[in-house]
Amino acid sequence: MLISIDWIKDFVEIPKISPKEIGERFTLATAEVEDIISSGEYFEKVHVAHIESIRKHPEADKLNLVTLILNQKGDKIEVVCGAANVRVGLNICYAPTGTTLPGGLTLEPKKIRGFLSEGMICSDEELGFSDNSEGIIELPENAPVGQNLIEYMNQKKDVLLEVDNKSITHRPDLWGHYGMAREFSTIFGAPLKTPFDAKWMNKLRAEFSTEKSPVTPVVDTDSCCLGYYGLSLSGIKVADSPEWIKARLNSCGLRPINSIVDISNYVMLELGMPLHIFDRSKIAGDKLFIKRTGEGLDFITLDDQSRKLLPTDTVICDSDGPLVLGGIMGGLNSGVVADTSDLFIEVANWKAAEVRKTSTRLGLRTDSSQRYEKTLDSNLMERTLFRTLELIFELNPSAKVVGKLEYDGSDFKSVSPLTIKTNSSKIERILGKEIGHNRIVEIFSALDFNVEAKGCELLITVPTYRATKDIECEADLVEEIGRIVGYDNIVPTAPLAEVAPVRLSTAKLIERKTRDFMVYNASACEVMTYPLVGDKLLKKSQWPSLNGLKLLNALSEDADRMRPSLLPSILESIAVNNKNSDRFKIFEIGRAYFDDSKSFSREEDHLVIAYYDKEKSCYLELLNTVERLLGALNVPFDICDKNPKFKNVLAPDEWVGCHPHEYLNVRIMGKMHGAVISAHPILLKDYKVKGNLSLAVINLSAFNGRPLKDKTKYRPLPKFPSATFDCTVVANINEPVGNILDCLKKVKIKEFVDRKIVTVFDLGEGKKAVTIKSTFLDPSKTLDSELIKCAENTILATLDKNGYPLKS
Amino acid sequence: MIEKLDELFVIFKEKLAPLSEQSDVLNLKAEYLGKKGPISDVLKSLKDATNEERKTIGSKANILKTEMQGLVNTKLQGIELDTINKKLDENKIDISMRNSISVNDTNHGSFHPVNIIQREVEDIFISMGFEVLDGTHIEDEFHNFEALNIPGDHPARDMQDTFWFHDPHGPEEKKKLLRTHTSTIQVHGMTERKPPFKFIGPGKVFRCERTDASHEMVFHQLEGMLVGENISVSNLIYFMKTLLSEIFKKEVEVRLRPGFFPFVEPGFELDIKCLICGGKGCSVCKQVGWVELLPCGIVHPNVLKAGGIDPEQYNGFAFGLGLDRLVMMRYGIDDIRHLHGADLRFNSQFKDY
Repeated sequence: MLISIDWIKDFVEIPKISPKEIGERFTLATAEVEDIISSGEYFEKVHVAHIESIRKHPEADKLNLVTLILNQKGDKIEVVCGAANVRVGLNICYAPTGTTLPGGLTLEPKKIRGFLSEGMICSDEELGFSDNSEGIIELPENAPVGQNLIEYMNQKKDVLLEVDNKSITHRPDLWGHYGMAREFSTIFGAPLKTPFDAKWMNKLRAEFSTEKSPVTPVVDTDSCCLGYYGLSLSGIKVADSPEWIKARLNSCGLRPINSIVDISNYVMLELGMPLHIFDRSKIAGDKLFIKRTGEGLDFITLDDQSRKLLPTDTVICDSDGPLVLGGIMGGLNSGVVADTSDLFIEVANWKAAEVRKTSTRLGLRTDSSQRYEKTLDSNLMERTLFRTLELIFELNPSAKVVGKLEYDGSDFKSVSPLTIKTNSSKIERILGKEIGHNRIVEIFSALDFNVEAKGCELLITVPTYRATKDIECEADLVEEIGRIVGYDNIVPTAPLAEVAPVRLSTAKLIERKTRDFMVYNASACEVMTYPLVGDKLLKKSQWPSLNGLKLLNALSEDADRMRPSLLPSILESIAVNNKNSDRFKIFEIGRAYFDDSKSFSREEDHLVIAYYDKEKSCYLELLNTVERLLGALNVPFDICDKNPKFKNVLAPDEWVGCHPHEYLNVRIMGKMHGAVISAHPILLKDYKVKGNLSLAVINLSAFNGRPLKDKTKYRPLPKFPSATFDCTVVANINEPVGNILDCLKKVKIKEFVDRKIVTVFDLGEGKKAVTIKSTFLDPSKTLDSELIKCAENTILATLDKNGYPLKS
Repeated sequence: MIEKLDELFVIFKEKLAPLSEQSDVLNLKAEYLGKKGPISDVLKSLKDATNEERKTIGSKANILKTEMQGLVNTKLQGIELDTINKKLDENKIDISMRNSISVNDTNHGSFHPVNIIQREVEDIFISMGFEVLDGTHIEDEFHNFEALNIPGDHPARDMQDTFWFHDPHGPEEKKKLLRTHTSTIQVHGMTERKPPFKFIGPGKVFRCERTDASHEMVFHQLEGMLVGENISVSNLIYFMKTLLSEIFKKEVEVRLRPGFFPFVEPGFELDIKCLICGGKGCSVCKQVGWVELLPCGIVHPNVLKAGGIDPEQYNGFAFGLGLDRLVMMRYGIDDIRHLHGADLRFNSQFKDY
């Protein structure tokens, strides 16, 4: 919203400080000033000049070289002018070089077809007096040459503060200049003028008669109308507004239209409450009904747009139908036009939430709806109406009120004002600053709060216009004091607090450790993908469950549900990165979301790792990473084969993406909480990914709730030497070497402490040679060679029995 | 005899010098120092000599023997070293061919920049005694709105800002939505502990908002809350100043100005003095000298009540930090959409070394 400092000065003296400083003080105490605009500075520079002579521009038919007398001393200058109405003897408005015109153009000495022109002769349009103009402004003969427009035309320069609308959403009282002036008065400690007092009201009230008025409002208590004042007038002459009204409307960004419409806008900008003025001759019947439409209908608003209204929208109707969309915008046909002579002034109040809902739905945010949606105070209606009347009288001395002031709606006057108890020492304590009881009382009073003080105890009566939703409790009062005292003046201090150790949750520890491991140890790059996915993404990955938790108001089909797995998004990322790199490792720690019949949804933190290599399989490398990671996390797990009895939802069996062989489950506490797989080439084909992709997914949430324990068990170094025995056996080429070791685990010899694979060698013809190293140790004594010999024989026999004969 | 020995030694040295094979050296050694070698011959011939002669010549011969042995050892060591070095020369590797200059450099990992900053901020708070909490992304309207003093008709509860799973105006109880701020973590945090306490809650939040270079529908916030007895605005400023000085690694000047957020009262917008121009005014701070950084305030009594805390006895402060913005400021990231893009050209820049 634009605030005119000139307007503010109607109500309060502002100290002579720079506009920038005014803006800063206001930002710190009340609301953010986004910009400071100086307007009308050019009025100081542009002045009256006299055309002494004219000669044709030698290079251009339509241009003249005009010699001007600039001042009483008789200084002259020659400028280029193209206007048709330029003639010798005329008084004109001359803008010298250095002037910045309202359009933003700063005049500089300029060569026009070879002739240097310094400054220009102005038209109405160039000075912002109208939207278009033909020719230059012709001033009367007696216009004093040399006088600037501030003096000659009584124009004003002004400073405008652009206040961020968002920062005053909670302050309905700040949507007009008078309310803003109260803030300035409090901030700068300057008294606020109170022109709108009871005496003033009584004077205007004297204009009303007691007779029945030609139009009376009837408010349906069911509608969104809180109260409705109506006043009929006659004897109006619609004209152009005087310059001072036009100038202020222009400054605040509203286009002047005619004197009556301008008055309604002026009063809204001054007092913060919108109003509507009807051409009374266009109201059919003698009643206006304020009610819900009851049925959907099309309504043409002032801006000539047809709007679809719902049965619940509140409108103002005459006997023919709706005239105004309550609190938002008038209709096309009931507004004031050039020949209007009878008026009906509406000042009403509306339910904020409903105005907002309707205006949002229609995409019709007006100056009016914008204010009503902040929750206005019904007590302001009368003042608004009286001020409107005052201005109408001022511009139309012949205007007459017809009948009495009509009102219908709720009895807002009987609502007792809000009072809040507080205490000056508590306010000081919460702010953490000594302010002083008297200063606190002074600030409240300046802000129009009534204060009853008993020692430190304060009973505060909140002005009605602050009590609509802004000020509700003691904390709100603390803010009033804090912002005026200035938060800048509060010295930072540390609170007194108990010192206590901080323990990170298991989930956080797991997450941190996992991330560190993946980066430092596995050398993988961490990525993030969207938690929101769409049908297209899931279908492309052929993920078995497409449903997911669906949003009601998604922004696009591609992000309309919560992801049931990170894998589809990661596949997408593989497709992107595979274009730039032949080999990479990525991982994401992110959330997956599931339906839950009891609590609607369930969320799990998943780790997904993807290893991609264009040339060779990376399955084993990934599997090793996972095994080391889980080891590093100190959590119990085992890695096991696919088992039809135990479904793994993290990498479902039925998913096309699963490799037929490269698939292992990660079992955590008996449940399948992870899988390490390779992506099936048939799936990769759809992503145009050539090469090998292995994927691991682990549900990190499976570890939650159990504290991480360091399970390392230290054993003293053996005092006696161990012995080893290597043997090479023959196995089928497809036989997993793990199986060979597994059969040895069943050999029950207590000194046989370890077995490992040394080498694997392809013998051809579907066979391979596997060398196994067995280790024997007796911690209590030196091994007996008899025992070793016996153990070796048992090992060989076991291997042989299991189909792994000794290689001859 | 002495002369003969000296002569032998000279010849030995001459013969040893050009040898380069281990075997040749060993042969030479055997030839001279062996039982049938010339030194032995000299020593054998001593049986006919006088005692005096025996003494001088004998000791001379022994000294020569030791010296020869020493020369042989040195020679052998030299040959061994040469042999090894020759092998090393043959197996020279290109020590410039490091991962960092290879096309397929997969040997370094990288953290996601949001997590780098999040962890940094978490650690600052942990060092000051704050717990780190987390919560679900899918919440109900009570925890996202009501408990935070955001009434039913507040604009934030309309469809256009919030992703809903249920019609917000529908009849269901506990309508579900995607949390629009991490303040939901506050609500759970309060109900789960007794004052005094202090915690932060970082995480993803969701807004139904069209995305562009500076707007995302999924982004990251970090919520903080401290509740105790007699907590003041002065305390809030202290923590914010400390936090920001730690984040930016230098003293920062902050200012509070009134800001309206339903869950705090008084509520503030916290600005920091522009780090680029030092407050003089530049394009980053839009000539104001201050940059708006985070909303904060004294927790609204209604929020404390909703969290099961008596607002007469306790109060506290809360703040919310936009992590993505900090990340973008720190690294000069031009487009917020990179954060969820999973493009390694972006992600791999945040290396661990």
